[in-house]
Amino acid sequence: MAHLEISGLEVRYGAVPVLSGIDLAIERGELVGLVGPSGSGKSTLLRALVGLVPPAAGRVVLEGKDVDYASKTSLRGLRDHAAIVFQQYNLFQNMSVLDNIMVTPVKVRGRPKAEAEAEARTLLSRVGLGGKELAYPDQLSGGQQQRVAIARALALKPALILLDEVTAALDPELVRDVLDVIKDLAGEGITMLLVSHEMGFIREAAHRVVMMDAGRVVEVGPPSQIFDAPTEERTRAFMSKIIRH
Amino acid sequence: MNYSLQFGQIAADVPYILSGAWPTLWITFVTFFAAAVLGLFIAMARLKGGPLASRLAGIWVTLTTNSPLFVVLFFLFNGLPNWGILLSPIAATLIAFIAISSGYLAEIQRGGIQSVRQAELDAAETLGMSRLQILRFVIAPHVIKTTYPALSNFFIFTMLGTSMASLVGVNELTGRAIEVSSRTFRSIEVFSLVAVTYVVLSLFASAALALVGRWLFRVNARMI
Repeated sequence: MAHLEISGLEVRYGAVPVLSGIDLAIERGELVGLVGPSGSGKSTLLRALVGLVPPAAGRVVLEGKDVDYASKTSLRGLRDHAAIVFQQYNLFQNMSVLDNIMVTPVKVRGRPKAEAEAEARTLLSRVGLGGKELAYPDQLSGGQQQRVAIARALALKPALILLDEVTAALDPELVRDVLDVIKDLAGEGITMLLVSHEMGFIREAAHRVVMMDAGRVVEVGPPSQIFDAPTEERTRAFMSKIIRH
Repeated sequence: MNYSLQFGQIAADVPYILSGAWPTLWITFVTFFAAAVLGLFIAMARLKGGPLASRLAGIWVTLTTNSPLFVVLFFLFNGLPNWGILLSPIAATLIAFIAISSGYLAEIQRGGIQSVRQAELDAAETLGMSRLQILRFVIAPHVIKTTYPALSNFFIFTMLGTSMASLVGVNELTGRAIEVSSRTFRSIEVFSLVAVTYVVLSLFASAALALVGRWLFRVNARMI
């Protein structure tokens, strides 16, 4: 059984279809890279999966359970399993780094504060930010904020992490730090769906790559296929432009 | 220019005048907090209410922020009795002050609410926070922090504005000053004393608000 199974997923903004007929199955522990031109629906797909954009049609099955996006209980169940990290980090500006990570485990999940704090500290040192516990988001660089956002997602112990262009807003020198963290996670069996323009990283770390265009899945295959021998013309056109740069 | 200052003549009245600061302060507090709560509801109605609620809230804000407080106060106190509605000076004062202030405070708070970043709301939602938790941990701290300076100014502004209550016979700081001045004819002494008292009250309130602000921001900072 696939960890995450998407079938016939459709999203519309008003009358405009943004995603049409998305079918995708992701195995447990798999790192799947989502590539494609801007506006192809990659971010929308992630936002739809976590319930930020209501799907117009289709089915999402996570851990064998159907997700009902209209039901609060079902959404809560989904959010217990899946976390998303955004391009712009989306940290709570009024909270310290430590509180950003602890607020959900303590206030939403009701875990003991001391335990959550110890874990948050461990997570911070794991993403290379030990010592920054009391800093505020605006005192950190983009790369550091993004690593806090990853730590915040990890504090929920998600089985599935969706990463939405997490390095796109970062200084090139900082990209590597964040990618290293993601690579570590991939080694631990967390299922990941990664939207990124870091083609080198996807080629190196992803198990499979999904090529999207105009709200549809164009091609799915291992990196070697998508990057070196795509079967679809659209993928070939996209890759030829990217690789030459 | 034969007027010579004779503070001795009002010495006996000084404690009476100064104790007028209490009504000034409590009218300020009641007005400010009642208008802030009312303003929050109006702001929410404008932002999240249905078309009718939003429109009504908009009309309320337009009316209250474009009417002179003095006129509203006189309408309530001198006009309404013609329709058989008799308000005490303090009731007319509070209703007029709260109504007018609610419009301004609604606008200040609306600005604060609108400045919450959608990104933080998205994050809160995907982290599984309920609406109430989002309000408590994300929206409220942000709104308090961003609107605090404007709210502090409005508090001082309200306090100074309460002097208008004397015009319908409320015996607060200015009301007592008018009374003593008309009895002793020592207007300069009386009103200079009252002016200094207002300055001291304002400075004290500003310092207190700054301290509360610092404390509040620390609360914001340490959520848990």
